[in-house]
Amino acid sequence: MRKVKHAAKIFGIIATAGLLTACGSQSSGSNASSNSSTTPAANTSASTSTLYVGLSADPPKLDPALSSALVDRQVMMNIYDTLFRLTSTKSIVPDLVKNYTVSNNGLTYTFYLHQHVTFQDGTPFNAAAVKFNLERDMSKLSPRRSSLLDIASIDTPSNDTVVLHLKQPFSPLLAILAGRAGMMVSPTAVQKEGANFVNDPVGTGPFMFKDRIKGDHITLIRNPHYWNGEPKLKKIVFKIFTDPNVELANLESGAVQIIDTVPPQQLSSLSSNPAYVVSNTPGLGYQGFYLNCLTPPFNNVDLREAVNLAINRQTLVNAMLKGSAVPGYSPFSPASPVYSVSEDTPPTPNATEIHALLVKGGKPNGFSFTMQTANDPVDQQIATIIQSMLGQYGIKMNIEQLEFGTLLGNADNHNFQGSMLGWSGRLDPDQDIYSFLITNGSLNNSGYSNPQVDALLNEARQVSSMSERKALYKQVINIVHQDAPYVYLYHQNNIFAYTNKLHGFKAYADGVLRLQNVYLS
Amino acid sequence: MAYIVRRVLTAIPVLWIVSIIVFLLIHLIPGNPAQVILGQDATPTAIAALTAQLGLNKPLPIQYIQWLGQVLQGNLGKSLLDGESVNHLIMQRLPVTVELAVCTILVALLIAFPMGILAAVFRGKWLDVTALFSATVGIAVPPFWIGILFLLLFTVRVHWFPSSGYVPIWQNPLQNLQSMVLPAVATGIREAAVLMRMLRGALLDVLDMDFIRTARAKGMSGYGVIIHHALKNALIPVITTGGLQIAGLLGGLVITETIFSLPGFGSLLVQSVFSRDYTTVQGTALIAAVAVVLVNLVVDVLYSVVDPRIQLGGRSA
Repeated sequence: MRKVKHAAKIFGIIATAGLLTACGSQSSGSNASSNSSTTPAANTSASTSTLYVGLSADPPKLDPALSSALVDRQVMMNIYDTLFRLTSTKSIVPDLVKNYTVSNNGLTYTFYLHQHVTFQDGTPFNAAAVKFNLERDMSKLSPRRSSLLDIASIDTPSNDTVVLHLKQPFSPLLAILAGRAGMMVSPTAVQKEGANFVNDPVGTGPFMFKDRIKGDHITLIRNPHYWNGEPKLKKIVFKIFTDPNVELANLESGAVQIIDTVPPQQLSSLSSNPAYVVSNTPGLGYQGFYLNCLTPPFNNVDLREAVNLAINRQTLVNAMLKGSAVPGYSPFSPASPVYSVSEDTPPTPNATEIHALLVKGGKPNGFSFTMQTANDPVDQQIATIIQSMLGQYGIKMNIEQLEFGTLLGNADNHNFQGSMLGWSGRLDPDQDIYSFLITNGSLNNSGYSNPQVDALLNEARQVSSMSERKALYKQVINIVHQDAPYVYLYHQNNIFAYTNKLHGFKAYADGVLRLQNVYLS
Repeated sequence: MAYIVRRVLTAIPVLWIVSIIVFLLIHLIPGNPAQVILGQDATPTAIAALTAQLGLNKPLPIQYIQWLGQVLQGNLGKSLLDGESVNHLIMQRLPVTVELAVCTILVALLIAFPMGILAAVFRGKWLDVTALFSATVGIAVPPFWIGILFLLLFTVRVHWFPSSGYVPIWQNPLQNLQSMVLPAVATGIREAAVLMRMLRGALLDVLDMDFIRTARAKGMSGYGVIIHHALKNALIPVITTGGLQIAGLLGGLVITETIFSLPGFGSLLVQSVFSRDYTTVQGTALIAAVAVVLVNLVVDVLYSVVDPRIQLGGRSA
C-alpha cells in the first residue's frame, strides 16, 4: 500500500512536469497559428507586396567597384541601374545611357545619358557621376580594373554626355558596362560613407537598401522616385540559406517565394510539382580544371591532351548533376552569343587514341599528378569521378582539397599540377576566354602561351561583328582542344524555383535576378 | 565575494592565453584574406595593395599588440571583409545564441528531470528501461538530423512553425518563441539525454545512502525523500554537466543555426573563419572564451547554493 502511495506521488510530480511541458508546447503551438498571418508562410495581402528571396550565400560586398562574388549581383542588380543592360533575349541595350555612338575607328564611344534621373539619396545622375564611377572602377583595388584597362580617358563635354577614349578598339566594352562596371553608385554617398558605403549602398535602381543582418537577411524597399516605371513590389527580403536543402524546405514551407538554387537530386520532383515553377536555363559559366603547362607532367602537350580526352563529360553530368548542367568542351555555353555546337560537344573517350597519346608523351603506362580542388562536397565528388575515369587509362590522380583562398593563390602562382577552378561567366565572350588563354593573362594560371591564339584573341577584341568574332573564337577553341591548357567539363545551368503565385519572372543569361516587374498574386 | 573577484582575476591570464592561441592559429591557417576578399580575377598588385592596406604585411607580434591594444579599450576591431565593427557584429549575433542555449537547456531540464527521476525510482523496471533506451537514442541521433526532420515535418508538412525568420524577443515575443521552439527542442533532446543519464546515476548513488534510509525509516514520504533529500544531493554532478553543456552550446550551435536559419554567434564564427576575417575570428573566439569562463564561475557559485557544505574558498566543512 505504501509502495503504491509512493509511486502515485512520484507519478504526480512527473504528470505535473509533463503538464507544464505540454502547456508550454500548446502555447507555442497556438502562438504559431495565431501569428502565422504575419509570417511569410501565409499568403496574405501584406505578403503579396513583399517578396522573400532565398539566396544560397551571403553577398559579401554590395559595392560594384569592390564586389567579387556572383551572389552580390543578385542584390546589386536591384539597387543599381547599369549604363547598358542585358535583355532576356540576350541583347545588350542602353539603360541609363539613352543612346550612344561609336566612332568608325572604334576608339571613341559617346554616351548620351537619360536626364532627370536621380540617385536614391537625391544626388543627380549625370556625366560627372558616370566619370566618378568609371574612375572608381579603374582604381588599383577594384576587381573591375582589369576589364576597363583599355579606357585611356573620360571626357564630360556636357551634363548629360560622356565620351570614352580608348587606347585600342575594344568590342566587349558595352557588355562590360552592362555588368558590375556599369552599375552607377551615388558619388555623394560614397564620399559621405567612405569605406562604409558597402554597408549602406545607394544607386538609381528600382529598390533601395534598407537594412541587413550579415548571414541572415538583406531588405530592400521600393524606390518611390524610380525613373523607369514603378516597381511592383513594396519590399524584397533576401534571406540567406547556406544549405541548399534548407533553402528548398523554406520554399516549400512558404517562408520564401523564390530560391536561387535547387539540389540536383530534387530537381526532377520539384519540376513535376504544379505548385512550383522551375526555371532551368543555360548559364554563361563553365567548370573545369587548369593543367600547369610550365611544370611536369603537363608541360607535355600529349599528356594534357590525353587527360582532356579521357573524361566522359556526359557520364559525369548524368551521375552528378542530374539536369542542372550540360556537358561542355569550350568556354562558351549554349547561352553565349558565340556558342558553337560542334566546338562545345565533347568527344566520347577513345581508349586507343588516349593510349597513343600516352605513348607519344613518353608515358605508355600512365603517370600520376595531383589535382587541387576547393574544400566543398560537389567539387570533391566531381574530382572523385574524374579520378576513376582517368584511372582506367593508368593516369593516377591524387586529390588535394584546399581552402578556396589557398586554391586561388596557388593557381595565381602556378603552384599546382591540376587545379579545379571554374568561371561564373560574363556577358561578353571575351571575358570568358581572353585573360585565361592570352600569354601572361591575369587568369592564365596554366602559363599557356601560343602566339597564334594570342593573335586570334586580340583580333576578336577589335572586330565589332559578333559573327566575325564567333569565327575567330572557333579557331581558338580548335587549337585549345589540341593544346588543352584547361579541361572544360560542363556548363552549370541557372536554376531558380518559385511558387506559382509569383509572376513576371524572366530568366537572364547571366543568372541574375531582376525583380522590378515581379509581383505576387 | 572575494572568491568571485579572485576567479575573475584568474580569468584574465586564461583569456590572454586564449587570445594568443586564437591569433596564432588563425594566422597559421593557409589562405590570404586579401586573396579571398578580391576573388578570382584579382591581380597580384591589387592583392599586395590590399594586404598592405589591411596591415597584414606587418610582423605578427606588431599585429597582435595593435589588436590587443584595441581590445583593452573595449574595441574588438573592424571586420577585414567590409570594415564593420566586430563589436556590432557580435552584439547582433550573441543574443540569438544565448537565447537558443537557454531555451535548449530549459527543454533539456523539462525532459531530463521527470525521466531521470522516474528511471532512478523504478530502477530495473520497464519505465527505467524505456527511459534509458530513449536516452541512448537521444544521444545517438545527431541534432542536425532531428532538426531536418522537424523542419520537414513541422514547417513544410504542417506549417505549425516558421522554417526561418528570427524575430528578436523585444520586437515580438510570440514570434520569437515560435522561431525558437523547433531549434531548442531539436538540440535539447540530446542535452536532455545526457542530463537524464547523469541525474539517474547520481540519484541511484544517493538513494542507496544511509541518510535516505534514515529519512524513510523516520516515516518521511517517498515524495519528500526524493525532493528534499535525494534530488538535492544528486544535483552537483548534474550542475557540472549542465554547465559544460551550456558552455559547449554557446559555440556549438552552428548546425542548428544553419538548419533553422538563425543569425547566431556560431555561424558568425564559422563564416569568418572561411573568409579569413581575422579580426572577427579573434573577437568571436575571445567572447566565446569569456562566456565559458563566466559559465564555469556561475556553476561554481551554484555548487555552494545547492550544497552549503561546499565553501567557495576551496575548504570543505
